[in-house]
Amino acid sequence: MLDAFVQGLLLILQWKAFAFMLAGIFVGFWVGLLPGLGGATTLALMLPFIYNMEPVEAFAFLLGMHSVVATTGDVTSILFGVPGEATTAAIILDGHAMAKKGEAGRALGAALASSLVGALIGAAALALAIPIVRPLVLTFGSPELFMLAIVGLAFIASLSAQGARGMVRGFLAGGLGLFLAMVGQDPQAGVARYTLDTLYLWQGLDLVPVLVGLFAIPEIIDLVVRGTSIAGNAPAGRINRGALEGVKDVFRNFWLTIRCALIGTFIGITPGLGGAVAQWMAYGHATQSARTPEERKGFGQGDVRGVVGPGAACNSKEGGALIPTIAFGVPGSTSMAILLGGFFLLGLVPGPDMLTKHLPVTFSLVWTIVLANIITVAACFLLLNRLTALTAVQGHLLVPVVLVLVFIGSYTSNSSYADIIVTIVFGAVGYFMVLAGWPRAPLVLGLVLGKIAENYLYISVARYDFAWLMRPVVVVLLILAVGVIFYPAVQAWRSRKPA
Amino acid sequence: MTNRASLGLAVAIMALAAWGIYSALDWPLKSKLFPLVICVPLFCLAGAELLWVVLGKGAARAASDFKLSAEHAPEVARRRTLLAAGWTVGFFALILLVGFPIAVPVMVFAYLKVQGREGWIFSAIFTAAVWLFFYGLFELLLHLHFPDGWLFGGFGGF
Repeated sequence: MLDAFVQGLLLILQWKAFAFMLAGIFVGFWVGLLPGLGGATTLALMLPFIYNMEPVEAFAFLLGMHSVVATTGDVTSILFGVPGEATTAAIILDGHAMAKKGEAGRALGAALASSLVGALIGAAALALAIPIVRPLVLTFGSPELFMLAIVGLAFIASLSAQGARGMVRGFLAGGLGLFLAMVGQDPQAGVARYTLDTLYLWQGLDLVPVLVGLFAIPEIIDLVVRGTSIAGNAPAGRINRGALEGVKDVFRNFWLTIRCALIGTFIGITPGLGGAVAQWMAYGHATQSARTPEERKGFGQGDVRGVVGPGAACNSKEGGALIPTIAFGVPGSTSMAILLGGFFLLGLVPGPDMLTKHLPVTFSLVWTIVLANIITVAACFLLLNRLTALTAVQGHLLVPVVLVLVFIGSYTSNSSYADIIVTIVFGAVGYFMVLAGWPRAPLVLGLVLGKIAENYLYISVARYDFAWLMRPVVVVLLILAVGVIFYPAVQAWRSRKPA
Repeated sequence: MTNRASLGLAVAIMALAAWGIYSALDWPLKSKLFPLVICVPLFCLAGAELLWVVLGKGAARAASDFKLSAEHAPEVARRRTLLAAGWTVGFFALILLVGFPIAVPVMVFAYLKVQGREGWIFSAIFTAAVWLFFYGLFELLLHLHFPDGWLFGGFGGF
């Protein structure tokens, strides 16, 4: 095993494999920065190029590209409030709020350092999980996966707003997300639901146009209203100086970083939940780390823990997602499904062979994640001053550029103008939600989890009738969901109780 | 304004949920199970929020989310919000009419001149840089197809 581990490193350090990894990192760096241009799409675009490569070179190229997309996606999310990737939307809430306070450097430092820690934990999980992963994943059937989706939704809905009314708004937003997830052809009977008799809506609402509209349009409107740069009137000197402080923040909140990285890894391992869930779950957990309701008020206004948590989860999920892909050929996400295609193109069959005959290749994947993230984070730190300086650019120069990127990013999801209409409509929805003080996070999570939850609920009922509710893991998850809902109320009651 | 926005959202969600329930009634059980499970509580929760707003009880605390800046007078903020919405919708209309390759430079230049009050030379150079980035990355490198606008190539793109 140790031999294979070292051999994996040596394989990736061969000049050709290393050069391909650098090429992949270069592509991934820019793909991550550009809103809407997704990692999965680019992975698919790059797949034809690997035909003539050796397996190690091909995976160095593909995985090198894919594993840095989330890191640079965080940069766009923090600086412009536009999700660089669908999986990096949660970091906007506090990261962009910090940028607006002139703390872009600190937010970026925290995001990059936590991303690196997350990536290392994800890679370590991949390396350690190889011999023990099978029983873990096999304990989760459809009922457990459905309950996991419910826990995730309860988690974010109850924690993203305060008080009874805040919680109602959280669940309203989550319910709206679940409703939107039902748009399109029903997977069980093929009925077209809520499609308004339009062909475009038959396939359901695409996540990217919805996310871009929901988050970018209110930011653009606010930028026009303020008439200043993103960082507003914050002193220019502070913008560039906080990066080291951000790195320190990661170590000040080290256990939060580790816990969020583990959440990301677990979400990555669980097939079908998808990467977009990881950051929101981690954000919910970071919010929960606030000890008092007053402390929780700081979330959404630029609390660095709201950056550290999602930053760590976003990259750790990649290592986690590789585990079921390699071990069982069950991809945990769209990107992993495309990567699985890469395995077959190269004549490799995921499963026992990857854990025995091709073990050095498997470990080379672990090393690719580690090296690609170290190189990217180093490059980002070198470019940090130039990147953060963008928050000092006047709003009237940024607005047209961001608007162009928003519309192109949205249009490229399905190459349809209808995508732009969806973006504009959800831009209006996002604006009114912000104006009314409603949380947007539960809506996104509801949209992401809706289809999955419906499928798993249907399979659970069809397979077990109502007996699925009695399965031990389901009961544990149900108790967890109830606990998550009532935890803020208990916390508020304890803080009011006289000492 | 916050309460009016909340009222609007609650009413919109109630209407959406009611439509969701009404539409689902005609579907087979396996298609309507999940919509009913979601829409019925959604309708009730939206009703609760509506009552909260109308009765003015239970002060709501803002969510852990982005907050709109409040540094300008409400009428200035409203005017600028409408202006931003106008630019956004106008850009989309321009894309529909003339396609991305023409709409991008026209919008960037117009925004810099009208909204930013920048000089002719700076606006032209900035627009050229944005257009080169757009053309170089999306058309030359990624070969993304952008349809001609309705004025030039029929009613495609949907």
